[in-house]
Formats: sequence, C-alpha cells, structure tokens
Amino acid sequence: MRTTLLRPELEDLRVIALNLGRVLEGLSLWMLPPLLLALVLREWNAASALAVGIGTALLLGGLAVRRFATDRPLTLALGSVVVSLAWLVGAAVLALPIHLSGHTARFLDAWFEAMSGLTATGLSLVQDVDHLALSIQLHRHLLMLLGGTGIVIVVIALFSAGGGVGSLYRAEGREERILPNVIRTARFIFAVSGVYLVIGSLALMAALALAGITGWRGAYHAVTLFLSAFNTGGFSPTSQSLAYYHSGSVELIIVVLLLVGGSSFLLHRELWTGKGRTELRSSLEVRTFATTLAVGITMGVVALAVSGTYRDTIPLWRKGAFTMVSSSTGGGFTVTSGTAFLADWGQAAPFVMVVLMALGGMAGATAGGIKMIRLGLVAKGLVHDVRRLLAPSGALVVTTFHVRRRTVLGSGLLRSAAVVLLLYVATYLFGAIVGLAYGRWTLSETLFESVSATANAGLSVGIAQPGMPIGLEVVYLLQMWIGRLEFIAVFVLGGFALSLVRGRG
Amino acid sequence: MTTRRRRLLGATALVALVAMLPFVAALATMRLAERPEAVLGPVDGLPPEVAPGPGCIARGPEPVDARTDLVPVVPPGARVGSSTVLRCPAAFDGLEVTFVGEVVGDVLPRRGGAWVLVNDDAYALTTGPLPGHRTFAGSNSGLAVWLPDPLVDGLSEPGRPGRRGDVVVVTGRIVRVDPDDSGGLTLRAETVRIAAPGTDVATPLDVPLVLLALVLLALAGAVRLRRR
Repeated sequence: MRTTLLRPELEDLRVIALNLGRVLEGLSLWMLPPLLLALVLREWNAASALAVGIGTALLLGGLAVRRFATDRPLTLALGSVVVSLAWLVGAAVLALPIHLSGHTARFLDAWFEAMSGLTATGLSLVQDVDHLALSIQLHRHLLMLLGGTGIVIVVIALFSAGGGVGSLYRAEGREERILPNVIRTARFIFAVSGVYLVIGSLALMAALALAGITGWRGAYHAVTLFLSAFNTGGFSPTSQSLAYYHSGSVELIIVVLLLVGGSSFLLHRELWTGKGRTELRSSLEVRTFATTLAVGITMGVVALAVSGTYRDTIPLWRKGAFTMVSSSTGGGFTVTSGTAFLADWGQAAPFVMVVLMALGGMAGATAGGIKMIRLGLVAKGLVHDVRRLLAPSGALVVTTFHVRRRTVLGSGLLRSAAVVLLLYVATYLFGAIVGLAYGRWTLSETLFESVSATANAGLSVGIAQPGMPIGLEVVYLLQMWIGRLEFIAVFVLGGFALSLVRGRG
Repeated sequence: MTTRRRRLLGATALVALVAMLPFVAALATMRLAERPEAVLGPVDGLPPEVAPGPGCIARGPEPVDARTDLVPVVPPGARVGSSTVLRCPAAFDGLEVTFVGEVVGDVLPRRGGAWVLVNDDAYALTTGPLPGHRTFAGSNSGLAVWLPDPLVDGLSEPGRPGRRGDVVVVTGRIVRVDPDDSGGLTLRAETVRIAAPGTDVATPLDVPLVLLALVLLALAGAVRLRRR
C-alpha cells in the first residue's frame, strides 16, 4: 500500500516558527552569565560579541513569537521539526559570540564549535584557545550544559513553555519521563545538574588548589571543567586538556564526573529516591555499561602494555584507563597529546577507543553513541534467537529485561534498537569514507574522527582542526547534529521538507 | 480567518524561517577590526629551528636505537618544535634539545620546581596572541616543561587573554614517559633564558561591534514592548 505525502498546512509552518522563536528567546538567557563575567573582567569586546548574540536571539525569537502566535497544538511530527531546526539555528546564533571574539577564521568554524559544544562533542576549531577571553571560554563550556541537558529541556525548565512540550521532549532524543509531567521532569534534570555542579566544582577546586591553581582562577577552571565533564563534552579551558594540570586528583574527579554524567537521569532519580540498589544490580543498561567499560579498559591497558607504549603500572592506568573511560562516556578529555594516539599508541589501543566511542554511554544521559540499552537489547535478542532454536518445538521462549521494571523483549523494541544501531554504524562509515575521499588520511584516522563526531565523543587524531576542508567540516557538523538527535527528528525534518515540495493537498 | 490571510501568514512564516540563517550569516561576516597596536610581531634573536626529515615514526613506538634519520638531522642541543617532538615521541626520548616558546596559563608549583606549559605556535613566536590580528595559524601547540626551583623565579605572569607571557629559550632533555608526570611527555629543563619578556597586548574597543550590539538589543526591546 502506498501512502500519500500530504503537504503541510500553512498553519503548521506558523506553529514551527512560533516554537522556534520561543527556543531562541530561551537561548538568549543562556548568554547572560558569560556577558556578566565579561563585564566584571572588563572584556569589552567579548561583552559586545555576547550582546550581539543575545540581541540576535531576542530579536529573531521575539519577532517569531509576536508574528506567529497561535493556539494550535504541537504534534510529535512538528515538534521533531522544531527540535531539529532549533539545534541548527540555535547553534548558529550561539556561534555569533565565538566568531565575533576573533578566534575563528570563518563563521563555519564558529558554527562547528557551537554545535560541538551543544552536542557535548568537544571537537574544537577555535584558534589560540590559550589567549581566548575567559567569558567566551565560559560561553563555550555553558553550551555543553545547555546541549548535554537538552536545549528544549532547558527552555521547558526555565519557561514552562506552552502546550505540546511533550512532543519537543521526545523529539530531542529522550524517550523516558522520569516524572509523570514533562515540565517536572525537565526541572528534575536541571536540579540534578545543579546539585552535581556544586559538589563537582568544590571537589575540583580542592584538587586544583593542590595542583597549584588557587583563588578565582581555581574556581574558574573548576566550574568550566565541571561543565565539560558532567556533560561528557570535552572542551577545556586550555589547549592541553587535562594534561595541563599534571594532577592525578583532577583526573580522578573528572573520571567520576564522566561516569556520573554518562549515566541516565533515570538512574539518578532511582538513586536519589533510595531505589537505586535494585536498579544498579538488575538494570540491563547499567550491566551492559559496566561490562563494556570493564572489558574496554582491560583491552586498552593490555594493548598499551603489549605495544610497549607504557611499561610501568602507573602510566598504564593513568593514561590508558583514563582515556578508555573518556572514550566510552564520550568525555573527549585527553591526558596525552592527540597525536600520541597515532604516533605512540600502537594499533590496538586506538581501535579499542574507536569501539568504545562508537558504543557510547547510557541513554537518557549526556553521553552519545549507539547507547548501552540498544547494545544490551540487541545482545539479548541474539541470545533469545539462539535459545529459541535450541528449545523443543512448540516451546514458548520468553526473554525479559530490567530497566526500572521487568519488561518482555518484544520484536518491535528489538527492531527499533537494531535500526538505530545500524544507522549509527552507517553514519560512522559514511563520515570515514568522506574523509578518505580527501586523500590525506588513512582509513583508521578518518574512522576515528568520524566515530568521534557522530558519537559526540570529541577525541581527535588531528583531522578536525582549524583549516580542515570545508566539505568535511560540514559533514562532521551534520554528524554531530544527527548523532545527538539520534536520527529520528532529523529524518522527520527531511520528510517535512520533502512534503513541502512534493506533498499533495 | 480568510484563506488569503492564512496563506499570507504561512508564507511570512516560511520566509521568516528561511531568513533566520541568512540574517545570522550576515552578522557573522562581521569581523573584529585588525588594530596595529594589538599586533606584537615576531620575537627576534631566536636560534634557528631544525626541521627533521619526514622519516619519522608513523605509528607505534620504535626502539630507541631506531631514531632513523633524526639523529644526524637533530644534533644534541639543536632547537626543535613541539609538533615535531609530538609526532615522533620515541625518536626524541632522552635527547638533549633546545625549545623556544611562550609560557602560558599558570605556573603549577610542586616540590622542587614547577610545571609550565610552553607554546611554540605562531601566536607565541610570530604574530602575537589573537584577537588583535587576522593572521590565523591553527591551534596552539606546546610542551609541558618541568622547571627546577631556581629556574622558576625569573618568570613573570604567564600568557593569558590580553597578554603574551615570557618567551623563553629552554635547554633540557625530552622524556617520553616521565615517571614524575605519571607517564606524560615532558621536557626537563636545565637552563632557561628569557628571549622576550611578557607583555600586555592592547585591546582597543571595537566601536562598530558595540554599536551593533546596542542596535540589536534596542530592536529586540522594541519588539518585546510591542508584544505587550
């Protein structure tokens, strides 16, 4: 049976413009803290750049809200279109202060940077980051909190945005509702982030003081590092990432924050309400994550030992284990130079990193990649098929899994997990092939970078750097966007655009 | 609402959607003006940097005795760049070198000395820090340098936004896996000479940018007032 593609009604466009306007107005507020910092530090040009960003977001958002006010509800399809566009347009608006700070050669680089921050990826095209104004640095790092939590989540939490917010929430790649009400769920996510911000920043301040950075600079580094680590982003206030600090304590706290950030907010809720022990013990997702991480760390460390990169225990674990956790959670922090992965780490360890980045962290968290729940479901599905083949004819084989409650593994669930998994793999390969087409890099290098972009991991072997080919830059930008939204919302946007052109009615 | 009015509204919505990105893009073509007073220019009197051949390690650490063609090209004590060292860590392990760069960020004191980050990119040695000029030269590049106590004393405030730190000439030994840094690649300094003292970079106010910000905020305020 063939379905007819219906052209959207004109009113639908109005709904999209209205909600896009609301999101933009919300984003303007996000640039206020860095603006205040710029004024305090007398970074006048940075303050002007941030004010341009705020003015643009307010003006565009205000015009859209004023001109297209409507009571028409937001459907899931339209919500998906809004979310997809919000991440693209929002990143462009948030890129303005970065570009106007004078640290990017072209606007596309700043857009890439903003998208990398929003998607909590961590690939960076900002130049001379060691001399970048502190307020713009804060802006970059706040993008990771905004995107890691979810643009729409933040707007919902701040403004209790109007009807149809559930559609926006789901379209942003979040299926679970931690609390029955979406607005309360958004506020819970915000509250969790706030509590961890205080605890994490204080712990980092103490560690940084031991490392030799005290006073307001210690506080500044602590907050920016927290924003990056909890949201598994990977930006850092210096060009050397964590290697800059020469501190085991800082690295240890970052590992904890990466694991906390890489865990789902649903799990946080269970832990906060005292039901976490069961969830930790039985959840398919938690168990898959723990197993993947343990196997990945072991393989990575063994690979580094065998290749002779590090021979002593402490370097093996400080460099090896940290990097594997950073890969698995999509943290993107490094404790070595990025070129070391190619020049000094042998073949196997970088391969393990690619696999860990590709698999990603837990769903409903700030981590990217295929996600542990999908991996766990597909693995369960395979075991189910084997059990069914081995069972006597006529026997009923039932497979269940636990995520918050025991659920029977149905074919629909399995199919959707497998489809998204395959989409991720296809996108990883697509980016790698595009990179190969430029003829400058090997397959292992382009695959590393493509997986890092799509899985929002942020580790780099040096392809994503200022001056990279524009075509590849656009591909990585889109990969970060698609990977963060987990395909569906972007596909709906594509379908919507097609129906505008070719639809009937 | 009449069909005509609805079409008009819808068409306006579509135009608004499409216009958002070009509007942002138009703003994005704005650039900070290059100011001569904010350009530091190259640091003079530095030793020449040796450019080793491409016969370096492509992948995997090689035995120390397999320094390929680097040893004849890089004599002991010659000046090397950080990107060369990072590309071939095993080849440089234990070599005595000279390294030149700007001290940036923080001086991290530890027992017996301090860690500093020394960048030898173009912003450190050739053009001066961004955003005072429009000569883009890529990302920062540098080495972690361990300075024993007496060598730390002469340093001024490191490079930060609006400041280029001391440009130092360091002689010392490259350690690929430094046990004192839990395995990091470091340069253990033996001597340090300041080639150019740290200096603040002028950051003149970008008046067009300020005006643009004010106009946009005023327009946004006007739209909000009319909404009410």
